[in-house]
Parts: sequence; C-alpha cells; structure tokens
Amino acid sequence: MNQVFSEIFASPFFGIALCILTFEIGVWIEARTKIAVANPLLIAVILCIAVIEVFSIPLASFNVGGEVITVFLGPATAVLALAVYLQLARLKKYFVPVLAGTIVGSVVSVTSAYFLCQWFGLDRTLTKSMVVKSVTTPFAMAISQNIGGIPSVSVAAVVLTGILGAVFAPLLIKLFHVTHPIAQGVAIGTSSHAVGTSKAIVLGEVQGAMSGVSIGLAGVVTVILSLFLPQ
Amino acid sequence: MKILGQIGLVFGICLLGQVVAALLPIAFPGSVISMILLFLLLLFKVLKVDHIRQKADFLLKNMAFFFIPAGVGIVAQFDAIKNSIPALLLVVVLTTLLTFGSTALVVGGLIALQDKLEKRQSRRRRPR
Repeated sequence: MNQVFSEIFASPFFGIALCILTFEIGVWIEARTKIAVANPLLIAVILCIAVIEVFSIPLASFNVGGEVITVFLGPATAVLALAVYLQLARLKKYFVPVLAGTIVGSVVSVTSAYFLCQWFGLDRTLTKSMVVKSVTTPFAMAISQNIGGIPSVSVAAVVLTGILGAVFAPLLIKLFHVTHPIAQGVAIGTSSHAVGTSKAIVLGEVQGAMSGVSIGLAGVVTVILSLFLPQ
Repeated sequence: MKILGQIGLVFGICLLGQVVAALLPIAFPGSVISMILLFLLLLFKVLKVDHIRQKADFLLKNMAFFFIPAGVGIVAQFDAIKNSIPALLLVVVLTTLLTFGSTALVVGGLIALQDKLEKRQSRRRRPR
C-alpha cells in the first residue's frame, strides 16, 4: 500500500495537480473574501506545504511535478517584454522618473536589509544572503553566490518578499497614497520583483508593464551595488 | 499564429537567452536576457505582437501560479534559518515597506514634477 502511494506521489502529475488544485482553491477564496491576505499564491503555497507535511511526502517527489511548473518561470518573465512593448510610449515619456525610482528603491532595499540584519544581530553570511531579497530569483542567486551568501536562503527571502509584495501591494498603495499607475507599477516591481508583478498585472496593464521593466532595472542596479558591499 | 508555433517561438527565445547568459563573462539571468531579446525583436518589427499574443497572455495571466513550487521550496531551507526566523521575517517586512515607499515617492514625485514643467513650458510657448 505504502509503495503504491509513494509511486503516486513521485509522479509528475501529483505535483502539478496539487499546485493547480490549491491555486484554484486560493482563487476561489480570494473571490469570496476579497481580502488582501487571501492571495491565491500564498494560499496555494501554505496548502501544498500542509499536504506534503501531513502525508510525509518527500519534497523531491513534489518537485518532480513542481519542476515542470518552474520551467514556465523563464518564459513568463520573457513575455513581460510584450507588456513593456505595449506601454512603450508611456515608458519613453517617463523614463527618467522610472529609472530614478528603481535606483533609489534598490539602494534603499540593499542598505536597509544590510543595516537591519546587523541591528538584529544576524551573522555575516545571513546578512549577505538577505541584501538581495528584492530582486528576481535568478539575479538573487547569482549575486548571493558572488558576495558569499547562501543562495538557498536568498531564494527563501526573495520568495517571501515577493509573496508579501503581492499580498500587500493594494494596501501599500493606499498607505503611501500612490495615485499614479506608473508609480504603483515601479514600486511593486522594485520592491517585490516578478511575484509582485503577478499582482501588478491584475491591477492594470500599465502597472504590470512598469513592474516588469522594474524587475530588470532593479536587478541590474543591485548587481552593481553588491560590488560595493563591505566584506 | 497557431498556439504551438507561439509556444515554440517563446521557448526558442528563452533558449537563446540562456545561450547568451552562458557566454557572458558576468552572472546575468537568462530569463532577463530573454526578456530583452524579445523586446528588441518586437521593437525592430522582426516579430509582431500577434505572433506571441495568446501564449504571452496565458503566461502573464497565470504568472503567480508558476511561483508555487519555488514558494513550497522554502521548506527545504527551514534548518538553515530556523534560529533566526523572527528576525528574518522582520527584515523582510520592514525592507519591503521601505523599498516600496521610497520607490513610489520618487517615481510619483518626479512624474508630477515633469508634468508640471511640461505644462508650464507649453503655456509659455503659446502666443500671447
């Protein structure tokens, strides 16, 4: 009996089906409750973790299907180019504000993460893993490795930051009175990369495109900043 | 274009992005290079929007979904971070708040400034 189950869990269809099912539950709950914390991604992640913990399913089994889904992250990032292209006129007109915003935001992200980690007494390696938390996963892993952090801890921080951004973006927009859709998009993309962008797309075409542009810009700025971090 | 063709096109560009990433001397994510490549192809009219529209819509509309396995992967890092979880969570929350706020203020402020300057300029240009 156990062997049958472990074979089922190791099938790629298990991971894929679990992700789709939990995400659909998340979408349903979000539509019903209409509250920010009821974010489909957050709900799906929590439910998936609950299922694999309760049934003691090895993460490796879940990942057989999980990796099939993760493959689509590259193409999903690439097609943000289309969103950007469709908003090209706006981007051209406001390129200076957008660029200035991503530079300031990235500097704030790296320096605040650095000093807060020091302040909370986290060790050097964890601090170095945390400073890349606002950029998209591939950037974060590469930078973290370069400066002597732990890439997997960086990935955890990046994903948490992204989910936080996706969940609270509408609240933060109200809190900071961000009325301009471009400012909303750039703030989401710079602070919470591609995961936040998934929410920006829902808020509007302009927000989605600007958030997409900011992922790339913030990534590049953070690569440059990381060269100046004290060893 | 048929959906299979669109998928082939987008995946092909992603492959090209990874080839370029492997050739670059510095660490630069392949997915971001693919994004730049696709943007250039659209900009120079090598590709038309209709060539990738449906595939792009599918990926963009479901973007959050593709992050689920990455999120679940946090479980594997639990041992590395379990002693510092409250501090790490605080850092994540505070820095995200600061980054969001500062970015929004700079972009919003500069856009307002630019619009104001343009309005003043166009008013001045108008003959009296």
